[in-house]
Amino acid sequence: MDDIKQTERAGSGNGSLTGKAMNFMLERFPVEKMNFHYMFEQKEVPVHSMSWGYYTGGLTFFFFVIQVITGLFLIFYYQPTVSDAYLSVEFINNHVSGGSLIRNMHAWSSSAMIFFAMLHLLVTFAMKSFVKPRELTWIAGVILLFITFTFGFTGYLLPWNQIAVNATKVGLQSIEDVGQYLPGALSTLPQVLRETFQGEASVGQSTLGRFYALHVVILPLALSALLGLHLFQVQLHGMSRGVDEKPKRSEKFFTAFFFKDLEVWALAFFILFCLALCIPFESFLPFPLLAPYDPLGATPAGIKPEWYFFFVYYPLELLPFWVILLASLAAVLVLFLTPWIFRGTSRKTLRFIAVLAAAYLFVMTVFGQAIYEALKS
Amino acid sequence: MIKMDVLAPGILLWLFAVILSGPAEVQAYPQFQEFVEKRSKQPVNCAMCHANGNGPDGQKPGQTGGLNEEETKRLEQARTAFEKGVEVESPILNQFGNEIVRSLGRKKVIALIREPEKLYDELPAGSDIDGDGVPDRDEYLDGTDPTNKFHASPLKLLFINLNQFKMHVALAALAIFSINLGLGHLIKGISLLSRKRA
Amino acid sequence: MLDSFLYVALPYLAVTICIAGSIYRIRREPITYSALSSQFLENNGLLWGSLPWHIGIIVIILAHALAFLCPGLWQQILSVRAVLLVVEVCGYGLSILCILGLVVLAVRRLTSPRIQAVTTAMDLVVLLLLILQVGCGLMIAVQYRWGSLWSVGTTCQYLWSLALFQPDISYIQDLPHAVKGHIVGAWLLILVVPFSRLIHMFSVPLSYLTRPPQNVIWTNPRRAEAAGEVFVKEESRRHFVLAAGGIAFGGFLLLIGTFDKIFNFFFGPRLSAAEETKLMQHKLERLKITAEQRSLELERRESRFIFIADLKDLSDTEGKYFIDFSMQPGIAFKGENGLPILISAKCTHLGCTVGNRRDAEGRILCPCHVSYFDVVTGKPNEGAPAKAPLPHLGWILMNSKDQVIARGPHDKTGGVNLSAQTLADARVFVTREEG
Repeated sequence: MDDIKQTERAGSGNGSLTGKAMNFMLERFPVEKMNFHYMFEQKEVPVHSMSWGYYTGGLTFFFFVIQVITGLFLIFYYQPTVSDAYLSVEFINNHVSGGSLIRNMHAWSSSAMIFFAMLHLLVTFAMKSFVKPRELTWIAGVILLFITFTFGFTGYLLPWNQIAVNATKVGLQSIEDVGQYLPGALSTLPQVLRETFQGEASVGQSTLGRFYALHVVILPLALSALLGLHLFQVQLHGMSRGVDEKPKRSEKFFTAFFFKDLEVWALAFFILFCLALCIPFESFLPFPLLAPYDPLGATPAGIKPEWYFFFVYYPLELLPFWVILLASLAAVLVLFLTPWIFRGTSRKTLRFIAVLAAAYLFVMTVFGQAIYEALKS
Repeated sequence: MIKMDVLAPGILLWLFAVILSGPAEVQAYPQFQEFVEKRSKQPVNCAMCHANGNGPDGQKPGQTGGLNEEETKRLEQARTAFEKGVEVESPILNQFGNEIVRSLGRKKVIALIREPEKLYDELPAGSDIDGDGVPDRDEYLDGTDPTNKFHASPLKLLFINLNQFKMHVALAALAIFSINLGLGHLIKGISLLSRKRA
Repeated sequence: MLDSFLYVALPYLAVTICIAGSIYRIRREPITYSALSSQFLENNGLLWGSLPWHIGIIVIILAHALAFLCPGLWQQILSVRAVLLVVEVCGYGLSILCILGLVVLAVRRLTSPRIQAVTTAMDLVVLLLLILQVGCGLMIAVQYRWGSLWSVGTTCQYLWSLALFQPDISYIQDLPHAVKGHIVGAWLLILVVPFSRLIHMFSVPLSYLTRPPQNVIWTNPRRAEAAGEVFVKEESRRHFVLAAGGIAFGGFLLLIGTFDKIFNFFFGPRLSAAEETKLMQHKLERLKITAEQRSLELERRESRFIFIADLKDLSDTEGKYFIDFSMQPGIAFKGENGLPILISAKCTHLGCTVGNRRDAEGRILCPCHVSYFDVVTGKPNEGAPAKAPLPHLGWILMNSKDQVIARGPHDKTGGVNLSAQTLADARVFVTREEG
């Protein structure tokens, strides 16, 4: 304890940048708490009305683990070439033992992971879990969210059917569209960026190759590294209080809460298994979109990105591009700077904002198509 | 002026010629596609019945311009199946298309152009080509692919598969929850021992 | 005659005597409702005899009862071959456990002098009957395999017929002697229940399964010191036993459910000859499409102009798709003056391929977000999501002698002087540069 005070005094005594930086790091990475006893045995979870929110992060992690396992099985048979990708997926579906179940679990679990990641974002926001000393946890979490969405975007291309390639084209086109708002020479930058993502002039083998590398190696490594940091911080600082009132009681993380966590995971796995067993993910798409990609033919009707992009996609259709661009930039900025912007906000207000955001996401995702059609005519 | 007794049969003959020869020339029947898209409210293409998703006209495989000798012979054969009950293997039709020709005959199919909704009543109720549990005629109305066993109305698939796999679901539930129970007690036991030590 | 006695009269007699006798016994001599445990007299042999015996027989009897009570469900569960195998193998293992236990118990009862002092004739009778019964059962399981399945249609039906007071021995009449002996043995055992130690089956201490752990307060100081530790050890042991049971059972189910699937996953699918051929055909088709792509790309690298179509084959209402020099889709129409119009088909909104049919106003439609483009000017309609016009592409016309006779879209001078005959033979090419 005394050494910490010593270092603090020394640091603040300087008032210099290095002193402040040292202070900051020491508060976020308190060395005296980095032991088994503090991080595991003593850790407690407050019990209150928002306690259900403490499970959302674990569920996201659980679904990620399922993705890794099912993904490992899939790469045994998937072939990332333009001529073989579609057929290899069909092969997995029809001929590989258990293949259709594994592929379906991968698809359902990806949607589940993204759903719970967003829920986790809203819940931790409402519980004000981002304040000091948990800022790094929050920032790591936001980056993790972007990585998760990128997982979805890159994975969607891999079956190489009509919806996959055309939806990716549409998505990448929106990057290029930013160019018209940039001055002078910078206006070609988005196009250069887009061609870097694509690997060539239009979506083709280079795109498939690099999206595959991203999806299978680079993003998992990045996510695991950041997740390690995120979880380390969570164990170090403990579960945040979550509500303004002092919790009447709290339970031990290990075993009581972990036990309940496991029960939730067991239930989640059972539901996922039943859904994956009974409803093939492709049944939600019209069948012309499931045909193999035809580069020389017309684009079929009904191309749209996956459901978790609807909250950006439909506004893009309805509003001018620059509006969406500005709103997205603002949202991303606010997300990253939340620990400082909302430092003084009450939990009641935060909860209100979170509910508003949740309502927008729900309405735009579920009714986006209907809204678009109603407003278009 | 114009002799009606000559003209009238002439017109009639001409009409018959048009009706019988006209549709025989027209290969694609877009009325069915329009009906299905309106009914099911989702886009469908020619691949529901045809071998090529862009329709039977063209030079690609599965279209009238892209057939080899053996396939052309099969096409000629299939074109003569005006009555029902004839097994055909038309190269421009997929399994569902051939099933339609077999169970209706081309004459009925052509007659149904004006009433595409009646195709549901004419198709046999028990025919399910892809074996997903949803009959072909229901897949026709739902706008789903009758030759793909992973494609059908999701809600229908949920109930059909739940019923089909109920033993698997029950055993999986048993396994998952017993492992969950076991792991939980394992953690409790370990924590008891560690608490004792601490 | 003998059959109707053994399989109709005896069962009813045995069950009646069992019920009546047990009720009489509990009212007159309730203290005798016990297994007359001899643990106090001889402990070790009892452990090795009684434990395996009871574990085995309880499970076996429960399985027999399940098959009797729900034959339909039982049959459905056993229709999965893996489950049938597991059940039968478990049956073997458990009956061997029973027999070993019984042997130990028998040896104990016949050789230990202390036990001999309290042995009655009925004890020996019971022991003998049990050994015969279990031995018979095992023999049936080995010699007349899959008894768990065939019993559904034979012995279960016979038992139900007895229970419903419509006895029908035709179900079991043709069964082998071992099975009939097993059935008779069962009735005999039921008959002797009220007269023997078997009566302890009716006083099973079920509440023991859920009793809370006992915290013994010792007055002995040595034991009192260790009491806390002992308590924790015993409680944690309960948890570990439950843990092991739960994980083992769940893991076992998981294993038999997924093992063949996982093994076949790694072993690889074995397709039939027809399926392999079809797969190869599909792969070849896809490879051909990719090869076509590559050759198109090469063509666009090497040539300065690419052939689209003969001018006479172009229509003014339905355009012909082609691939332009940047490997993007384009559409070729015949214009009003008979010269071609080549327009890019990559929608300027989000890149979808525009349709090739002109409507009444000479526009083509992009189906993705509904933008109409005028073919002649390339401009999108008012309020369309696309803002920029579709660019026109440069073209040349060549006659049959490979001479360039016209070029477009900006060079207007050549076209007007061409005769209808020349136009009829002309061929359309797209060029690298515009006009």
